[in-house]
Amino acid sequence: MATTPETIDGLEQFHQVCASWHKAAENVRKFNRLLTTDAKIAQTPKQLIWTLNKAKLFRYTPVRPQAERHKTPLLLVFAIMNRPHVLDLRPGHSFVEYMLKRGYDVYLLDWGVPGPEDQSISFDEYTLDYLPRVVRKVKSFAGVEEFSMLGWCLGALIATLYAALRPNEGLKNLILLTAPLDFSDKTAGGFARWTSDPAFNADSIVEAFGNVPGELIDAGAKMLKPVENFVGAYVNLWDNLDDESKVDAWHAMNTWVRDIIPMSGAAYRQLINDFYKRNALIENSLRLRGEPVRLSNLRASLLNVIAEADHITPPCQSERIMSLVGTEDKTVHRVRGGHIGIMAGRGAEQTTWPHIDQWLADRSD
Amino acid sequence: MSENGNQFDPFDPTGMLKGMRDATLENWAKLMTGVVNTDAYAGATGAMLDASLNASAPLRKLMETSMTQSLASCNMPSRDDIVRLAEQLTHIEMRLDDMEAKLDALARSTAGRRKRSESQ
Repeated sequence: MATTPETIDGLEQFHQVCASWHKAAENVRKFNRLLTTDAKIAQTPKQLIWTLNKAKLFRYTPVRPQAERHKTPLLLVFAIMNRPHVLDLRPGHSFVEYMLKRGYDVYLLDWGVPGPEDQSISFDEYTLDYLPRVVRKVKSFAGVEEFSMLGWCLGALIATLYAALRPNEGLKNLILLTAPLDFSDKTAGGFARWTSDPAFNADSIVEAFGNVPGELIDAGAKMLKPVENFVGAYVNLWDNLDDESKVDAWHAMNTWVRDIIPMSGAAYRQLINDFYKRNALIENSLRLRGEPVRLSNLRASLLNVIAEADHITPPCQSERIMSLVGTEDKTVHRVRGGHIGIMAGRGAEQTTWPHIDQWLADRSD
Repeated sequence: MSENGNQFDPFDPTGMLKGMRDATLENWAKLMTGVVNTDAYAGATGAMLDASLNASAPLRKLMETSMTQSLASCNMPSRDDIVRLAEQLTHIEMRLDDMEAKLDALARSTAGRRKRSESQ
């Protein structure tokens, strides 16, 4: 058969169609792999220095010599219904790694995964049994009397309770990230609206499950923005499959998001009934084990980081504390971004992290 | 996938479809976020959840009771027994932690005192 220019064109087109089908099949395989496998996260070297029940305290291996390090150690306290790995997401994009490079002695409290035997652990226990012991260990391990603490989300709530109840235990600097503290506006954000409805009964959820399943908490969080979470995130991944840096970031974040854990039943009940419904902390009626929690007792230097586009902890839930705390040295820092994005998003390294470092460095020696 | 996703090209059907998809998703997202942020949705979800939990409560109770009885008849500890035991272990762990901290403090103060007396 004679080869004419027409047959050559036809063959080229055929090859192009085959190549595009091959590429599409490859993309489907890659997409599937990204959805079903885990990325390597939380890779920064660390040492386990303390445990209590499921809680673990880690000290990250310093990367700068002692003479160049800040004197005041930094304790990171994350929320109780997620793993803390988001603070050390992936090499090259990790808040922990960033702070180590800037000379901080960094400690991380991992609350662990509560089992059925932990369903009676409430904020009383987290604040008055666990955190004081963690603080004691950090101080004795570092050989110091003062420390800084960074709390994120419910970790910020626990850190605030601790700071108000134990103002003389050496807490020098307190950094709150997207702290859910003030629930006076019941229309601000889906969680406040849903949980303040009289039909929402936290007691019956705890009665049924003991600990609140991670799947239920995860579904609730995703339902705040259903299309973005159930569809948009995957469409976004598909569109960026050829961009390796975006794919790596997505994979690491998805690995963290998929690692869901239950929340202690007593803590959940308290969160909904005392905080969301009664707004007890701001109304000055909160008592932990009979001790009144007064924000006016909080005397540590305070940096309150607020995410302007936070749909989980809307800014109004974090703002009011500034007028209630007893400290003179207090700063609000507003960041464009969402609840997780301000610390783990691509822009965090240029916006939130340097600001935290700058604020803390001035107060850590 | 279209090469020029951000620019309108009437001869690029993939790009047009992608643009339509993004616009649809955006509108859908706004609509759904609005829906879940209403009192009606909050009330309906809360009521449905509460009703389903209440409806399943007798069955849960029955299963729990029969399981406890079966375990007891086999001389096996129940879930509550294990929970109580685990709680006690945590309390013991706390006491041990407190003792360890006191010993550490004691060791540090003894070492400090020895250092001072050696330097005098």
